[in-house]
Amino acid sequence: MPKIISNAKTQGLDDIIESWKGRNGSLLGALEQAQQNDPQKYLSENTLREVSKRLNVPLSQVYSVATFYSFFSLKPQGEHVIVVCRGTACHTRGSLVLLNEALSRLGIKEFKEEEENSITSSDTFATIRTVACFGQCALAPVIMVDGKVLSRMTVSKLVSLLERLKKGGEV
Amino acid sequence: MENFIEITIDNQQVKVDPSENIVEACARVGVKIPTLCYLKGISKNASCGVCVVEVEGAKALVRSCVQNPTPGMKIHTSSPRVLRARQTAIELLLANHPTDCLSCIRGDTCELRTVANLLGVRADRFPSYKRYPAPDTTSEGIVRDDEKCILCGRCVSVCEETQGINAIAFTGRGARTRVSTFMDRGLAQSACVQCGQCSVVCPTGAITEKDDSREVFGALQDPKLLVVVQTAPAIRASLGEALGLPPGSLVTGKMVAALRRLGFAKVFDTQFAADLTIMEEGSELLERLSHGGTTPMITSCSPGWINFIEGFYPDLFGHVSTCKSPQQMFGAVAKTYYAQTAGITPDKMRVVSIMPCTAKKYEARRKEMDSAWDWWKEKDAKLAGLRSFFDVDWALTTRELARMIKLAGIDIADLQEEDFDDPLGRSTGAATIFGTTGGVMEAALRTVYEIVEKKPLEKIEFTQVRGFTSIKSAEVVLGGNPIRVAVAHGLSNARILLDEIRAGRSPYQFIEIMSCPGGCIGGGGQPVLSNSKTKLARSQALYTEDSILPIRKSHENPAIQTLYKEFLGEPLGHLSHELLHTSYRARTF
Repeated sequence: MPKIISNAKTQGLDDIIESWKGRNGSLLGALEQAQQNDPQKYLSENTLREVSKRLNVPLSQVYSVATFYSFFSLKPQGEHVIVVCRGTACHTRGSLVLLNEALSRLGIKEFKEEEENSITSSDTFATIRTVACFGQCALAPVIMVDGKVLSRMTVSKLVSLLERLKKGGEV
Repeated sequence: MENFIEITIDNQQVKVDPSENIVEACARVGVKIPTLCYLKGISKNASCGVCVVEVEGAKALVRSCVQNPTPGMKIHTSSPRVLRARQTAIELLLANHPTDCLSCIRGDTCELRTVANLLGVRADRFPSYKRYPAPDTTSEGIVRDDEKCILCGRCVSVCEETQGINAIAFTGRGARTRVSTFMDRGLAQSACVQCGQCSVVCPTGAITEKDDSREVFGALQDPKLLVVVQTAPAIRASLGEALGLPPGSLVTGKMVAALRRLGFAKVFDTQFAADLTIMEEGSELLERLSHGGTTPMITSCSPGWINFIEGFYPDLFGHVSTCKSPQQMFGAVAKTYYAQTAGITPDKMRVVSIMPCTAKKYEARRKEMDSAWDWWKEKDAKLAGLRSFFDVDWALTTRELARMIKLAGIDIADLQEEDFDDPLGRSTGAATIFGTTGGVMEAALRTVYEIVEKKPLEKIEFTQVRGFTSIKSAEVVLGGNPIRVAVAHGLSNARILLDEIRAGRSPYQFIEIMSCPGGCIGGGGQPVLSNSKTKLARSQALYTEDSILPIRKSHENPAIQTLYKEFLGEPLGHLSHELLHTSYRARTF
């Protein structure tokens, strides 16, 4: 079975890269779509190599772009992705409390804040990341869950959201 | 001159070329603007902020590396505002730069230290906020230390544009920005060809050669060892410069004397092996031409170039001469022929080479570069019990040798000139010019022509293949047939010729490729802070030495003739193949 899955995945990646060939912004576009298409929502070394080879962009430059944008993840991500803004405005309105609440509810202990870290719960239920700013400071504190930006977040809203996700619900 | 424009630099009316940036315009009228990220012909990233100037009417200070003068522009290069801004730019860089200048390998050639001193930075103004991974020591030739990196981007530019390798790039973002390789695996596992051009352009101690001088000092102190040294052609034209003499100082005799003072038992010359290379490579070319072999044949002296083709064009291996580089030919001959003649066994012998090159360190450690070991093993069962050894034990760069000479307190200015030792120190003018782009081609043509035509050349200089034009070509008539030859230096230029071959439309029969711009005189192990002027001076020094040497053709080198008579037999013979030829393998990264 694993073999079938990996074939299907490679096929998808091939098509994605092919569709971006020769277009403006092909590298960024292909990487973005490749990550979204990946079952674990990340850019594996193999994906980066394929993109490099097929778009004729040196490996170092593919890696450069993949590590520059906080959207890209080089590690497998959980089923849900929670991004907590740790910019100044969000910090003053309590984003650290939100971060710690999310971490403890997901049973993650070893998160190091200062490294703009990304960490996935051991049950792969969710990945928690931080970013420096979403540009939504007026709506602070802001978090993003599965691509949706949620503003004026509170601990109780966060807790009920996590409960909902655990029961298979959506954001 | 007619399109020059009038501007004012520091209240002085001047006419300047508007196609050059303000840094160069100022330099032409005697005003030196400090720069770090900007390096003429290599990079202008406008990232360091050190080259700012004040332009009247402009709101902000202008980065003079990316701004060209416009008519009537009034520029102030040392107003208090400018000096303050430059000082702050440096203070910000120093916040995260270690203050281990006393023990840094770059010593007094560090551009950051020089500029900091120049601008009067006297205190650590800003706190450090970065953490760094340990230095990258994976490569045989080059060491990268992120802690000393100021993210100027010169190395990234030279790797991408001059060499077309792209081994390194900026990774991460903001305070976590680094220069790194794919997946941060280190240089050894990257596309890096170890040419070392990054180490020549780096303004700080962030990228340096792997220093092997300590091991060499150790061997020199060991009374049980016979340590011989070989010096590449380009060293005689750059060692003086590394020791404070003007660029282009030719120091052949003084270099020999200094090496003896350091304790080398025999001072030999890689040029001997360069003449040997011409005998083998010239014969190989004639063989290919007369028997319908693969052409164009490409030279194989430059290990950066070999790493390049192994990584990027493995389908073209058939075009590369099977000849080892002169460094490796020397090692193999020294530990067989010379050891036998001198009556010593190779385990008591060390071969050190002085090279203008970081890739030579890697070449010396290639697993197949142990031909002398293979030779002795077969010859003498007692020696078969020894541990295997390399043909060349250590390859030191020009910079390492310069540091050793200074450390030993040898003042090159006071040394009397001395001669190389016999027999592996005998060479010709043809071998001397190996050190500059076009030199191997010219040396080969001198010999090949005379072998084919069986008469002396009327004009020995092939000036069409001299100079720093990116790709040079010429036509030579050999035995009634026109032969087209080409010379490329810098790997981006090499790509052009290789793509022609791949596409089946290369008009050439013989090609010389050197990894570094200018050839070995511009090598990655050469003195830092070199530019086109210093490279030209080094190149001229080599042509000068060629013109004054009594023998200027490799096949007329009497020591080479003796080597064939007493030991090798004939070019491309059985022993030559064992000791002097090699093969290539595809490199993945």
